[in-house]
Amino acid sequence: MSKAIFELMDNLPQNNITIMMLKSLDFVVPGEWQNIVGFDNMIRHETGEDDPALIQQIGEKAVRLYNDNTQGYQRAVWLYQTVDNADAALGAAALANKVGGKIPLLGGLLTNITPNPDQAQAIDLSLKLVVEIVAFCQINGIPGDSIGDFLASLANYSGEEIMRLATLICVDGLIPLGPDFLGKIHETLSNLSSNDLQNNKTFSSISSLIPGGNIGGQLSFINNSFDSVKGWMSDFVASKNLSPQTILNNLKSFVEFSDDKLDYVAAFLDLSTNYYEHTGIQTVARKLITRAYNEI
Amino acid sequence: MQKVFTPLLLICLLFVGACGETPSPSPYDQVQEETTQPKQTKQPKQISQEIHAGGDFNKFFPGDVNGYKRVYTSEKKGYAEAVLKKDGKVVATLAISDTMGDTSVASKFKGSDKIDGYPSAKQGKTKTSILVADRYQVTITSKTLSESDRKEILTKFNLNGLKNLK
Repeated sequence: MSKAIFELMDNLPQNNITIMMLKSLDFVVPGEWQNIVGFDNMIRHETGEDDPALIQQIGEKAVRLYNDNTQGYQRAVWLYQTVDNADAALGAAALANKVGGKIPLLGGLLTNITPNPDQAQAIDLSLKLVVEIVAFCQINGIPGDSIGDFLASLANYSGEEIMRLATLICVDGLIPLGPDFLGKIHETLSNLSSNDLQNNKTFSSISSLIPGGNIGGQLSFINNSFDSVKGWMSDFVASKNLSPQTILNNLKSFVEFSDDKLDYVAAFLDLSTNYYEHTGIQTVARKLITRAYNEI
Repeated sequence: MQKVFTPLLLICLLFVGACGETPSPSPYDQVQEETTQPKQTKQPKQISQEIHAGGDFNKFFPGDVNGYKRVYTSEKKGYAEAVLKKDGKVVATLAISDTMGDTSVASKFKGSDKIDGYPSAKQGKTKTSILVADRYQVTITSKTLSESDRKEILTKFNLNGLKNLK
């Protein structure tokens, strides 16, 4: 049995590198994301209620729903957790080295970081996108391969959901792969063999929940997912006027680096943050609480 | 010799104690335990089979209403949910849930006021609901709409249609 939903929410950090990064990207989706931590805090925030007895009643119902294996909420959390490959030790070491509120990305810290080759980075972003789609269906109960339903709901994404996707575009797309990140991912996925996919560590971890039936079908699902969402991502980048430079300028609010080490910035953020897990737990808790209040 | 061992032993005990630290108690520990026991995870089969799929409820929701856009957001077994939006922001959440097998929900409607002839209940500051056919809870929650606004929107559901859902 994985951790209880109230434990996951109560244990979310109020401040670490993930939070610093998300706050530095607030300019992309201004005011959308607040770092709500604590299960009862989320109940109060989501429902607008403050009566302790009512909060307890809502919380108990949410716990029951979460623990019902037929409902999919636990699978969604597992997906959000598994697709992140954060290295807690590196994160802690980086924080310990903080000078004047910033993490200097140089010296010993750099020796622990290896930038991802473009192919690995392209697969990483695609798998995060697939996790978003599958987790959405687990949480909202739409059949597991319904990319069309997911696309319709993208327009309604807000709060931590839109923050998660904005960060995906910025930190896993634009920074490591550059302004043409969508073209590069398209090219990588078009040339990807079943073997390449099978050898990817993140894919192996989550493959049991990726629709498609077999490795070939799963590769098609990943391709279809990317093809369906790339238009939305391209519009997002254009409408927000995003470029690697604007993002890097904002990241400099908490991490210090020289402009010849951009590859390392992406790799450092990949290793030291777990924004999918952090915001994913917030999404699942919020949806559970909304439903729990409606059902009691 | 003992003088050396005692502090060593204390240090070891402290270390072991710190490793075995138990999480602080939560008000949800009891329900967590109840719902993670193997026997509790299975519902009686005949009840779970009768619970409606969430999709069965979609057609009873109002369409766009009072200038708000209605967007479906969730469809789970025994539960369907939509939101009302204005200028891209959620104003209210609407839901229909099948209370079959959960008598605790129906009891709050006993001796209550009625909306369109159906028993209604207000919970907390933000939720109003009605019970249709002694079984389907129709709910609106909103942090901004008044209770009278919430009641009015509840009447926009196809309540008579829902009443006849078998």
